[in-house]
Amino acid sequence: MNEAPLLRVDKLEVVYHRTITAVQGISLAAEAGQIVAVLGTNGAGKSTTLRAISGFLGIDDARVTDGSVTFKARRIENRPPNEIARLGVVLVPERDKVFPNLTVAENLAAPFAPSARGRSASEEFVYGAFPRLADLRRRTAGLLSGGERQMLALGSALVCRPELLLVDELSLGLAPAIVEELMARLVQIRRDLGLTIVLVEQNAAAALAVADYGYVLENGRCVLDGDSARLRAHGDIQEFYLGQSQGGARASYRAVKQYRRSRRWYG
Amino acid sequence: MFRNAPRASGYFRTGYAQDLALIQTRLEGAALAALALVLALFPFFAGAFYLDLACQAFLAAIGALSLMLLTGYAGQISLGHAGLLAAGAFTVGILVREVRAPFWLTLPAAVLVGAVLGVIFGLPSLRLRGLYLAVSTLALYFVVAYLGGEYESRRGFSTGIMIDAPSIGGFALKNARGWYFVLLAAAAATSLICANLLRSRTGRAWRAIRAHETVAEALGIGIASYKLLAFVISSALASLAGALFAYYRGFVSVEAFSLFLSIQYVAMIIIGGMGSLLGALLGALFVTLLPYLIEALLMRLPHAQSYAGSLFAIDYSAFGVVMILFLVFEPLGLVGIWRRLQNYFLLWPFKYRPVAGTRR
Amino acid sequence: MQLIVNIVVLAAIYALIACGYVLIYRVSRVLNLAHGELMMLGAYLLLTTASAFSGNAFVAIAVAIVLSLLVGVLIYVFLMRKMAGEMVLAAVLTTVALGILLQGLMILIWSAQQQYPGQALALANPALLLPGGGRISLFAALIVVAAALSYGGLFLFLQFGRWGVRMRAAGQNPLLAAQRGINLHAVYALAWGLSTLTGSLAGMLIALDSGLTSSMAVIGLKAFPAALVGGLDSLLGALFGALIVGAAEVLSIQYIDPLLSDVVPFLVLIAALVVRPWGLLGTREELDRV
Repeated sequence: MNEAPLLRVDKLEVVYHRTITAVQGISLAAEAGQIVAVLGTNGAGKSTTLRAISGFLGIDDARVTDGSVTFKARRIENRPPNEIARLGVVLVPERDKVFPNLTVAENLAAPFAPSARGRSASEEFVYGAFPRLADLRRRTAGLLSGGERQMLALGSALVCRPELLLVDELSLGLAPAIVEELMARLVQIRRDLGLTIVLVEQNAAAALAVADYGYVLENGRCVLDGDSARLRAHGDIQEFYLGQSQGGARASYRAVKQYRRSRRWYG
Repeated sequence: MFRNAPRASGYFRTGYAQDLALIQTRLEGAALAALALVLALFPFFAGAFYLDLACQAFLAAIGALSLMLLTGYAGQISLGHAGLLAAGAFTVGILVREVRAPFWLTLPAAVLVGAVLGVIFGLPSLRLRGLYLAVSTLALYFVVAYLGGEYESRRGFSTGIMIDAPSIGGFALKNARGWYFVLLAAAAATSLICANLLRSRTGRAWRAIRAHETVAEALGIGIASYKLLAFVISSALASLAGALFAYYRGFVSVEAFSLFLSIQYVAMIIIGGMGSLLGALLGALFVTLLPYLIEALLMRLPHAQSYAGSLFAIDYSAFGVVMILFLVFEPLGLVGIWRRLQNYFLLWPFKYRPVAGTRR
Repeated sequence: MQLIVNIVVLAAIYALIACGYVLIYRVSRVLNLAHGELMMLGAYLLLTTASAFSGNAFVAIAVAIVLSLLVGVLIYVFLMRKMAGEMVLAAVLTTVALGILLQGLMILIWSAQQQYPGQALALANPALLLPGGGRISLFAALIVVAAALSYGGLFLFLQFGRWGVRMRAAGQNPLLAAQRGINLHAVYALAWGLSTLTGSLAGMLIALDSGLTSSMAVIGLKAFPAALVGGLDSLLGALFGALIVGAAEVLSIQYIDPLLSDVVPFLVLIAALVVRPWGLLGTREELDRV
């Protein structure tokens, strides 16, 4: 592909409260139509990266202090979230992902939609992709189960008709069967709507199963990237993220905890 | 007071005593001595008008310092400060009119009344924070104002209570210079009390409560008792200010202690700069002088006489504008401006202070 | 019977003013302590339009209402928007300062004298006889009607209007609302506009009923306990709160001491803060947000 990627994040640096650097020099790219996985443990900076792409509010007291975020050849860093959403980049956040005191139908009615016809088409699509939501139309969103809430969160993001969907920790707190189902739906939605998806996940196995390309973040830096086949085969990913030890032998606790363990990030 | 200011090389603190000392550098000591000299000589060069202005500023300073302890350091918002000032003033008024008590009885009585009222004002803080606490202090202010008004109307003082000047033996305190020194001493004593409180365990506990209450509690700081202590001490000092105010003016009336007065004190600590005793003093000076500055400015404009009637409204509007300007553009107040200036010169060619010890 | 009429009228006044506090608080967590002054401003605007359109009372009132909506929006756009990212307390203190500024400006522009817009518009205010023997003045009755219509309209708007749903969404989760393309500044400006509109309506009707004095802002402050007792983010709560505060005030004037009228609402406020700070119908989590 010779054209520029849909989303390019270039040496991003994000500072909270003017003192804490959460993300240092992260670069990633997403081509149109791809599913890109961003992996890493807690505190790696994955959510911050997504928030930087989708925009900070004043109360967050956070800024992109260096680097750039480019979407469709347009710089979008440090813009307010509602502007970025209207440009076609929509985030499904990790926490507080629905409006708890509004009904499911109101949750789908509140977001911005590019046109009235587009809105009704989107709502139909959402009820088609998540039939469970159709039964829960009048239920208050705060009373939904975890899986239903995640479906609603995805649905309300789709009402905005995004070209780029950012999903933060889809699997958090959900049973494995539901995670599998949601991931499958995500792939289906990507195919039906021609979306590009950036998926931030702690559950590396689930993410790599559906992603085309992946990045691994640690301590605010990107330490490895590659297409998903390469990542799944990589020894360190297997050991630290997929829970498989080398040669099938049982790993000794001492070996894991010892400071000196070899990293093969750059191999 | 400039505890965390960056210092030129040569000033090292090598022990706790040095860390806690009130005057930490020779420059600070010299500046303080110069200020003391100026304040001492001022009344011999200034006319009655300026002496009165200075006395008003000293009274305001005591009130502002007390509010700064409560809101700026302990983090308990209070919109009812005028109620505490009124309590002190009315205690003096009632005691003088009903039982002809001398000042060395009425002043401690006022402080006591203030302390008790402080407990009442402080009780909501055990359950409420922020906006709700502010609203509760507002409501309590209205109750105090109502009680003052009730006393005035039931005892027939509908235009206010007149008080004689305080006296010892036959010698009554009536002249401006005498009052200047008395109030200067009171303000200086209050500043010293506040500074000492702040460098003690109490002050550290208050700062912790303001910064993060839950963490402070987890560290073993008794939140309830320190919050109440803040209210009690602040109210006692405010009552003292009110009592002195009553004697200075010779007159007590509930109209003088309006909601606007409460807001003025809040403005003093905001304009001065929250979390700083110097801020309280600067803020008190600024807010006291503001109406006079405006009047002086207006008198220079053409058609000066036509504005004279609406001076009060102009003062009101100007006060609102100044308060808004500080809240929007300079939330750290005058002290914030001063610190930025300090940083510029002391840190040059660097721009930023180190993170540890940064006071924002 | 007259007692009941008085309670209903006072409750209607407090309710109409209280919904202004609730609207802004619910949507942006800001307590607009300038609401009393804005209420007064509405009455003064009516005075001005009354002299501009002296023949036509309806036009004068309509224009004044539109102007007050505009004033609310402009106050947000030019002042409160700058405090949007800051601590809530700073925003509240800004409204306090705004209130003081408005008071000064109103005296400068219109003088502190008592005014009678009703006379300027040549509107009579006859006392109407009610079944059961009570009397109510025409404009007091109109206040009750206005309160009912305003609450009805607001309920419908918030429940079914697109911007109403957006306002509720922004009030619950401003970050998510922004991430869903909702322009928070537009929502807040609308809240300020509607709040000022209802407050001004109250101010105008009170001025038409009993004249415009500089103490009208105090009525605005007394309505605040009504909003809090019901729950600062609940419109329905404000209705109940207004009834409670109105009843308490009228009854204590009647049976205890007429001088209590200014302090009773705040006694009710203190009682509410002691027993149930989040109000009758408010959401409990509000307490910890500073």
